[in-house]
Amino acid sequence: MSALTVEFAGSRYRFAGLNPEQDGRVRSRFQALLGRDEAVADVRVDIHFDPNSSAFMRRPLGPVEYPIAVVPSDKSIAVAGIGFTANIDRSPLRAQMQTCLSDEWFLGAFENLFRIIACHRIFSEGGLILHSAAFTDGARGFLFCGRSGAGKTTLCGLADELDFEILSDELNAIRPVGGSFELLAMPFAGDFGGEPRCHPPYPLTGLLGLAHGATPSVYPCSKAQSASRIVASCPYVNSDPALVDELTSRVAELIVHVPVRILSFSKDVRFWSVLDHEYRIPTAAVSH
Amino acid sequence: MSIESQPQQYRIDPHARFRVMGDEGVFVLQEAREVLVVNQVGAFIVKELEGARSLDELVAAITERYDVDSKRARADASSLLASLLKAGAIKQL
Repeated sequence: MSALTVEFAGSRYRFAGLNPEQDGRVRSRFQALLGRDEAVADVRVDIHFDPNSSAFMRRPLGPVEYPIAVVPSDKSIAVAGIGFTANIDRSPLRAQMQTCLSDEWFLGAFENLFRIIACHRIFSEGGLILHSAAFTDGARGFLFCGRSGAGKTTLCGLADELDFEILSDELNAIRPVGGSFELLAMPFAGDFGGEPRCHPPYPLTGLLGLAHGATPSVYPCSKAQSASRIVASCPYVNSDPALVDELTSRVAELIVHVPVRILSFSKDVRFWSVLDHEYRIPTAAVSH
Repeated sequence: MSIESQPQQYRIDPHARFRVMGDEGVFVLQEAREVLVVNQVGAFIVKELEGARSLDELVAAITERYDVDSKRARADASSLLASLLKAGAIKQL
């Protein structure tokens, strides 16, 4: 059995008990984010391989999205998906995973559990993870929240055409720093994005919802609509009774500092000139 | 049976979370995995529903707070109650 450490967004996650095949798959996937094994981990995850597949949710016969059950209780969170079950202790945050998987399905199960653990870790550190797309022009970070079908992946494709750095089209994190917020890449991508990469934090310049429209535009959003969009975009935490009050308080604070706006766009790169203008950083100028 | 003909009281469902933000209000419905927004008058009505209230009590509160006749207030409150009941945001006692 082996162990490895994955490090991102300021946290170290230590996975122990991996068999050689599991270890190889995780190392291959998270290669760019592997940390020093001797460093103290913030979250420990113990993995127990159990070859008895009848004890776990069966694999479907055809292609399918990974179904996953998450049941929070006062002290822990129970998780079950295809080929695995897990228990996440809230304090200290740590997890135990039981799985019958070692093949290519293992990575799906591993990432499903890792997403949930990371959401709770970042929330416990004062941040939020949003179901969102995010990119940067190198100086400014833009985050677009929305449910499936809102246009996140489409927007990432357009941003990629403009040579912007895509952080993720699925999950991104934000956390407060002083009086502002920074945008952190998460190593989980949906349809857009390849291997996880190291990214520095970027200032959260724009926090937007998405709408479809023939002519690109950016318009404001009421506080309640803003909060609604953000809360709805915080997976796992927003369905956890122990965390929802803190979540709404945190979101209320966030939208004071970074007001939510709506980007209406169609499938072309004209959105950028509108967005760039809306969030242009003022520069010093002297007039005569 | 319509809302108007029922003598019941209503209040926020204990599994729902409500918070006023700006002039509006936000409901987080964890069991339904939904987040709802209610407008200014809706937020006022829902705040009233932090305690048990009948439709008549809501109508009285609305007409006292807003410049609106009781017929209009009753229609608005009935409509909102029906929507919130359907969403699982409030419950009948």
